[in-house]
Formats: sequence, structure tokens, C-alpha cells
Amino acid sequence: MGDIRQSLLPRDVLSAAKELLYHLDIYICNLVQSGRQPPQVDTKTLELVEEFILHSPKDRNIQPRRMSALQELQLLEIMCSCFQEQSRDAVRQLMFSALFSLQGNQADESRMALLSKLVSMAVAVGRVPILECAATWLQRTHRVYCVRLARVLVDDYCSLVPGSVSTLQNIHSSSPRFCCQFITAVTTLYDLTTEDLTPPLELLQMIVSWLQDDPHLVLVTLLNTQLSGSQPISSLDLTPLGGLVRWCVKAPLAYRRDKKQVLTNGTAESEMEAGPLFSTLHLSVLQVLMLLPNILNEKGLFGRLALLQPETLATLTSDLSRLLDRADKHAHAGPASSHALSQLVLDRLAQALQVALANGALLCSREDLRAICSRLPHNNLLQLVMSGPVMYYDNIHTTPLMAFSPHSGHSPIASHPTHQPLASHPSPHPQYPAQPYLSTMPFPYRPNH
Amino acid sequence: MSALKDCEFLVKRARELVSEDPCAAKAWLITARTLYPADFNIQYEMYTIERNAERTASAGRLLYDMFINFPDQPIVWREISVITGALRSDCQDKHALFLRGLFETLPGRVQCEMLLKATEQCFNTLEKAEMLLLLLKRFPESVVQHGVNLGETLLEAEVSESLETPVNCFRKLFVCEVLPLIINNVDMRLPASLLQKYILKAAEFYIGYVARGPSSDGQMQGAPEVGSLTSPGASRGPQRYVIDGLSEKSSMVVEPWERLLDILAVVGARCEWQGDKGQRSYVDMLQRVKELCRYLPSLEGETRSRCCSQVVICSVLVLFRSAFLYASTVQPALFQGLNVLSSGPWILLEDLSLVYSDVEVNRGPVKHAHKKRKMADGREKPMSSDDEEGLGKGRGRHILVNKAEMPGWSETLESFRTARESWDLLHSHESLETEFKKICASWKTDSWLWFRIFLTDMIIYQGQYRKALSSLHQMAAVQQPQPGQQSPSGQASLESSRALIQQASCHYALGEYRMACEKLLDVVSGLVPPTHEPVRTLEEQGKVKNKSRKGSDLRLLPCTSKAILPFCLQLMLACFKLRVFTDSRDDLSLGHVVVLLQHDWPQGESLFLKALEKICQQASFQYENFFNYVTNIDMLEEFAYLRTPEGGRIQLELLPNQGMLIKHHTVTRGITKGVKEDFRLAMERQVSRCGENLLGVLHRFCLNEKIMIIQSLP
Repeated sequence: MGDIRQSLLPRDVLSAAKELLYHLDIYICNLVQSGRQPPQVDTKTLELVEEFILHSPKDRNIQPRRMSALQELQLLEIMCSCFQEQSRDAVRQLMFSALFSLQGNQADESRMALLSKLVSMAVAVGRVPILECAATWLQRTHRVYCVRLARVLVDDYCSLVPGSVSTLQNIHSSSPRFCCQFITAVTTLYDLTTEDLTPPLELLQMIVSWLQDDPHLVLVTLLNTQLSGSQPISSLDLTPLGGLVRWCVKAPLAYRRDKKQVLTNGTAESEMEAGPLFSTLHLSVLQVLMLLPNILNEKGLFGRLALLQPETLATLTSDLSRLLDRADKHAHAGPASSHALSQLVLDRLAQALQVALANGALLCSREDLRAICSRLPHNNLLQLVMSGPVMYYDNIHTTPLMAFSPHSGHSPIASHPTHQPLASHPSPHPQYPAQPYLSTMPFPYRPNH
Repeated sequence: MSALKDCEFLVKRARELVSEDPCAAKAWLITARTLYPADFNIQYEMYTIERNAERTASAGRLLYDMFINFPDQPIVWREISVITGALRSDCQDKHALFLRGLFETLPGRVQCEMLLKATEQCFNTLEKAEMLLLLLKRFPESVVQHGVNLGETLLEAEVSESLETPVNCFRKLFVCEVLPLIINNVDMRLPASLLQKYILKAAEFYIGYVARGPSSDGQMQGAPEVGSLTSPGASRGPQRYVIDGLSEKSSMVVEPWERLLDILAVVGARCEWQGDKGQRSYVDMLQRVKELCRYLPSLEGETRSRCCSQVVICSVLVLFRSAFLYASTVQPALFQGLNVLSSGPWILLEDLSLVYSDVEVNRGPVKHAHKKRKMADGREKPMSSDDEEGLGKGRGRHILVNKAEMPGWSETLESFRTARESWDLLHSHESLETEFKKICASWKTDSWLWFRIFLTDMIIYQGQYRKALSSLHQMAAVQQPQPGQQSPSGQASLESSRALIQQASCHYALGEYRMACEKLLDVVSGLVPPTHEPVRTLEEQGKVKNKSRKGSDLRLLPCTSKAILPFCLQLMLACFKLRVFTDSRDDLSLGHVVVLLQHDWPQGESLFLKALEKICQQASFQYENFFNYVTNIDMLEEFAYLRTPEGGRIQLELLPNQGMLIKHHTVTRGITKGVKEDFRLAMERQVSRCGENLLGVLHRFCLNEKIMIIQSLP
């Protein structure tokens, strides 16, 4: 390795970086071929990457070499084609992680900077292999960094250059995995607590249209991941469902705050458009939740994997109770409209909770729900959801169905500690029917000619 | 809170939201359904939203769920019947298309089940049949189970609802929809007898359909009672045609004869008929069964009966199709949808174009006809034993037409010939005839006026005039023009005189001149003489003269005043001319002949000269109507000459009562002089009438002298 460093030192920055990428490619190919498990890139190589590609100072005495903007662009192009030309998936992944896995050192800053530029470029020119590697990266990396990458993309495509959002729009077809992780990252990033953390309309529109096209998109990571129980700590959620629920539920309050501000700017457009978009998005989220029983049953995970964490929901409800309380106090102008918005918030929350519960995305009892929602103002639907359906069925119009009620079977889960959703539940019947109609009666859809 | 109240609350909220925010409404219903999955109203509300928004896929999905989960809900059934209704209808509006699309999204198994159940719930036979038909069309495997039953149900319904015409909704459905499914299904095994019954049902329908009369107000033509046989004269435009119980569109049958041929081809193949399967025309078919017929006597048992059926069925179809084609040219007003104006009605009559030729040639077209009868060909049976006239003449008679006036003349004559051949074939063996008569009886062909017209013309063609007359008598009875039914053009009344005109022609052919004249004078009294005399083309005149034919030809004449009045005049001339040019003296008849010879002048010039010759021989001539009806300048000149010394001083008594005067005052020169003076004055006056419309004069002659004319014939 020392030899390589010696050969790289006299070169100019660009050719040194190029040479190192070339070397890395050969090195990793050999590594994969040797069949050693797990293939591990050695520290020396990682150091070379930091020195010659990320230009992180090896020690304080040496002035770090810098690349010009043009050189950097050339390097990015080289990297793009390098990943594009490498046909072996394993080699690409190892290379990507050698370059961009965070090491917890001071090189991480330049690593993030280069990664952001590379991914942004890959989006622009449609480099699918890079997006695929980035999707994996987004699954393994701490959410703080994931969110930073997402932010760069949103800035690049939604804020900086108007009209470029359509380029970003395409990622749902070029790399659904990356797209799914991107949605999870942005819903984590924009928590609607401040103006800055409210998603731009372009982004919102894009996500709504993605979901309308294909609700399965938000489940791509879940579908493609072997759940071993060893999810990296503090990584992004497996699905964006939690984040999306938070968006839809909080949106009426967040965008009302917006409205107050835009009134001073003179444009009320965002309020006009955001409302229906969130309504559509909320419906899509519920429809995605309805897809879950089949998918979870197929993976044998029904009743064992909580896609919505009670803790997250508890945070959401306490946020809500604070916001609603404040909204109530500030509602001088129109108490009626303020009340309507509060009810909309609570209706959506109740709907999300009920549908999640019924479809196995939320694993807790009604009692737990009551605890989570105890501090929220009154809402009819929420009340109904917390108390659950009336168990005797007295509807004169219909014949009661014997095997329907998925809720009667909730006791085994309720007895389960809700904060340990992945604990191996012995569940002898993974085909446990939450929706007896849908799960046992697959709909053989005939395409419409 | 009760479950019912919960559900009501949830559905109510969704309904409130649906117009302003449909997504929110759906979110409410999704939530509601997870709370109360067994509640019908929630799912129905979901379905309603999707259906009202005409979202095919999601509405189909929800309908499927409801069909599976709530199979006993009346509302679901109401919905399904709306959809199956749309499937049956031919409505093309957006909603109907949506409903059909909705049905298409459902899995085949569910479609099948839905249709079967919907069928069970139908009480109306027609609806039930249409529903079952939807099933059979979509799921060919169900044809085996339900096909024949459906067919029989339809045929029974026809009887139980006592529908008198085969062109009814049940038969239409059976013939056009069910039958093709049954016979084309390879898994079906049907006995030949059933297939033969079905092909005859189909034939009866298609023939009834093509030969349907023009209906008034788009209504079905009534039962074939006597009244409906009357030649219709009223509205003639293209009309809407609706079979009772069906829509206008499904009442329409495209290319009926071709469809019938299609069915026949399949049935033929299934019944193992002789001949190649690819026979594609009615004419080919006739040739084939003609050949087949030769072997018939040598066949026995089952082979024979199969062969018999083939010959009878094929010949019957060819017969009725050709007869229809002929009748539709000859009397188009009988049928709906034919362009009546393109070619008027035509009438088959004796050809009289040789009437102006010399007497001997034309003499006795009938008298010796029976002597020519040939029985040389042993296989040929007499047409009918009770008719003794003119059998031999039936072969090889010419039918003349004005080719310019009748564009499709060759097809028409060909159809007439083919129909006659089929008829002959059907009467060539007793067993064939028996079967044919059975078919005719069950179809009640006696009541088909158009077929009667063909039959009559065929009998006329065969020279069986006596038989033809009795057929014409029956036809005349139903064709009596009724008051109020006449069209202003006067043409309709002429169509209804068709039988009278043909009767006159037949009587003439039989040598019954007095009867002939009686009939034709009845006809003439109903005619309106044309205001202008038709200009004869040279070609027309030439043609008649150039051909030397025997006088036993027939002619298809347009059934119009313009053509019929000349024919009547010629026919009268023909009747009188034989009587006049004999040795006995009959001045009255001779006068009539002179009057009639004016028509088509100078064609009758030679006959006129012959008449003059006779007058000269007699040295006198008495005809008091002379100055009323003779306006021809050439004739007037000749008669004026006859009185002169050079002309032979013929004594002419042409003025009314002149004879009396002469007898009384023979000795008085002055009076004789007065007579001469009268004649001269009359001649001069007559010369000034030369420009008068001759047909008008002759028409008046027929009307005024009717009794005298008839009486002057024995």
C-alpha cells in the first residue's frame, strides 16, 4: 500500500484520484473473488481514499490538496462512469461503501459533500447503479446523515432551479428503492415543526403523484429487505409510513401557520394547494396500510413487525395536544374554522390509527391507544376508534359473518409488550386474518381492454 | 353507541364530504370498513362513490367484494341487474359503456355466476333469454348445458304467447343468436332431425324478415289475415322497422340470405349431406341437389331419407329466395325497405308486339297448342293432370323486357327461371313433394301474396291459363282497391288491377276474347290517359319488326297507365282482328279495328289496307262512330277517296242515323246531295281534330263504347 501512496503523491490531484479509483476497482474485484467472508476493505485503503479522493489532511502539517471546481466535476464524471461500467453488484457496493461509509472521523464532512454531489449528479443524468448504491447507503447510515443527503437533493431540485423537479420525479421509475428511501428521509427531515421544516409544495406534489401511481412504492424497502432483526441503530424507518402519517395529521395546523405568514407576502397559494394534496396523500397512506396484511403474511411477519411505533405515535400526539392547545388559544379570528381544522387533525389521526391497527401496522391494544391519545381534545371518530367497534352486530340489513372480526383476536397482541414489536412472538398462525375479505379472497383483477 | 349508530355516523360523514373532498370521504369509509367489515352500507357507499365517478377498476373491485360478501343483498342484485341490462342493450352512452367496462373487470368466474343468478331472477322470458345468451356468448362451455334448452324455451314462448308471425322477438333471438352458438359448438351432438327442424325455423324467420311488408308507424305488420294481403298503397319511404319487444337496432338483420346460407352450410356438414362443404351460393346449391336427385330412386332407407331432406331443404331455400327476388322486382311495394321508385311494378303478359302483323301468322296462338305437347322425355311428368292446356309451351318461352327500362332484367329473369326449376325439382318425386307441402303448410305460404304472384306468373309461363285464372280470381278478390287507400298518383290502383290485367291476358290466350275484353275494359276505365302521346323510339319499332318469332312469347310490362293503356288497345285489336278478317261481314268489328289501328300508326298500316280491301269488296261500309273516334289524317284521306269515282264509289255510312236517311230518301236527289254535304262537312271538321290527343280519344272510345264493344264479340 505504501508503494501506491508513493506513486500517487507526485501526481496532480485529479490523476491521483483517478489512479486510486482504478486501483480500488482492481483491489475490490480481487477481494470479492477471493471469497473471504465478509469482504472487508482494509484500513490502509480507506486512508488512501480519504487522502487522495476526499483530500482530508493526513496530519496537520501538510497543507491539504484541493481540487478546482472543474477538477471536481471531472472526478464526479469519472466516478459515475466507474460505477456505471462495473457490472458486478457486490463490487459496486463494496466500492461505494469504501468511498462513502461514514468513519466517524473528520473526513466525513468532505465525504458527505462529495456523496451529495455524486447522488445529485446521478439523479440528473439517470445513473441507476449509483442510485441503487445510495439506497443501500440510506438504509445503513444514521438518519441524521440520511436527512442531510435528502436535504441537498430537495434544495438542488425543488428550491434552486425552478422546473427541475421533473428530473427528480423520474427516480421512482429508475430506482424505486432509492425513491422509497428518499421519501422516508424527507418525511423524517420535514417534521413540520418550523417553517424551514415544512416540505416545499413541489416535493409534496411529487410524492402525492408517486403514491397515486403506485402505492407499493413506499413498501419497496420492506419488500426487498431480509429482516434479520439487526437493523442499524438510528437508521431510517423501514417505511415512510410513520413520517407520512405525521405529515398528514399535522398538516392542517402547520399550513395554517403558513397562511398567517403568506398573508403578509400577499400570496395564499400554498394554503390553497396544500389542503387537497394532503387529503389525497392521507387517502394513499390508508390505502398502503390496507396492502400490508397480504405482504406481512407472505413474509410471515404479520403481528410481529410494527411499522408504526407506539412511541413515535405518542410523540406525535403529545405534539398535537400542545399545538391544538396553542391553536385554541390563538384562535381569535375564527374559532369555527379553527375548530374545524382541529377536528380534521383528529379525524385523520383516528383514521390512521384505526386502519394501521386493523392492518397490523400498529401493534397495540385499544387500551394503549387510549393512553396515547388521553390528552387530546374530544373527537367523535377518535372516541369510536379508542373504544373499538361494538362487538354484537345488530345491523338489520346484513347477515352477520361468522369469522370476520379481526379485533376480537387482539388479546394476544395486547398482552404483548408493545415497545418490543420485533420480539419473536410465537404466532402459530401467521395467516391471521386482519381483513378476512381481502386476504383470503385475492382479487383476480382482469385488465380492462 | 350501537354498531348500527356507529355505521350510520360513519356513512353520514362520508356522504357529507364526498362532493367537496372525495379523498376524505373515502378515507372515512376505509376507516369505517376496518371497524365494521360486515356492514353492507359502508361498502355500498364506497361502491357508490366509485361508480358515480365512473372509475371502472375500483368500482369493479368493490362490486366484486359485495358480490362475494353480501350475496343476498337486494341492493346488490338491483345493481347487477342494471349492469346486465346495460350488457343486453345496444345503448352507446357513456354510462352504459362504463357499466359494461365495469362488468369486464370482474373475473370470469364471477361474471358467469352473476349472469346465472341474474337469469334466475328474471321472470320475463325474453329478458331471461337475453341474459342467458350473454352467458353463452361469453362462456362457450356453458352452451352444452344451456344451449338447446334456451332454444326450446324461445320456440315454446313463441307458441305460448301465440305470436302469429315468425318474425318475432323470440325467433329473432333464437335464429340470430342462439342457433349459431349451438351449431357451431364442437362439443354439441345434435340429432339430424333437430338440426333440420332448426334450419327450417331459421329459414321461415329469414324469409319472413326479407319479405316483411311495409309497416305503418313502425309497428309490426299484423297477422297474415286477408286484409294484410292487400297491396299496400300508402306510405312508401324508407321506414323504421321494429320487431315487437326488441330495439330498432337489434330488430335489424344484416344480409339475411347470407346468414341463412351460413347456417345451412353448418347444418349440412353436421347432417353429413352430400357435396362439398364449401358451396357458397344458392345457385350452386340447386345444381348440386339436382344432380343428387338423379340418384334418389336408387337409394334406400336412411340414406334415402337423408338425401330427401337435403334436396327438399336446399330446393325450398332456393325456391323462396329466387321467388322473392322475382317478386321484389315485379311488385316492390309489397316489401319494406325496397326502393320502389327505382323500378316500378312489372306485370307478366302475353306479348302483343306482333299484333299489327298479318293475320295468318298470328292466328290461333292457343288453338293447336296442345297438339305440340311433347312427352318424349320419360322422366318428365305432366305438371298437373287437371290442366290440359299449353303444357309444351312452358318450355323455352321467351320473356321480353325493355332492357333500358328494367336495369336488372337479366337477374330478374334468372331468378324467375331458378325459382321455376326449384319448383319443378320439388315436384319431381312424390316423397319430395310431400315434404315440400308439409313445409308450405307449416309456414302458411298460401297467405304470402308475393309468393302467390310468383306462382301465378309461373303458371302463366307454363301456359296453364285456366289454372292461372283461378289463382288470379282469388288475388283480385283481395286486391280490390279499397276507398281511401288509393294514392294520388293513380299508380297504386293500377298495381291492384294487376290481377285484372293478367286475367284479360289469360282469357285472350285461351281464345276467350269477349271475357278478355270485358276484363281489360274494366281496367281501362280505371286508367288515366297520358296527356302526351309517348314518342316511340326508332329502335323500339325496329326491334319488333326485325324479329320473326312465334306468337307465344310473354312480356314484362311496367305496371303503369302509360304502358298498360297501349297494351289494352293492342289486346282489343288482337281480339277483333281475328274476327274481322274472315269471310263473313261484321262492319261494327271492322270499325273497331280501324279505330284501334290508329294507335301506333303507321304500324298497323298494312292491316288498315287490308281492312280497306275488305270494304272495297263489300262496296259499302257502315260504322256510325267513325267521326267520333277516327282522327288519323291518312285514314280520313283514304275514306274520303273511297267515295270518289276513282275510289270505287263505296257507299259509306259513317254519320249517325245516316242509314235511315238514305233509306227514306233514295229518290230525292236533293236529300242525297244533303247527305254528301254532311259527309264533306264532317270530314272537314274531322281534319281539324287531327291534333287531338289520340290516347285520349281511344280512352274515350273504350269508356263510351264499352257495352257495344263487348256485345260485338261472341
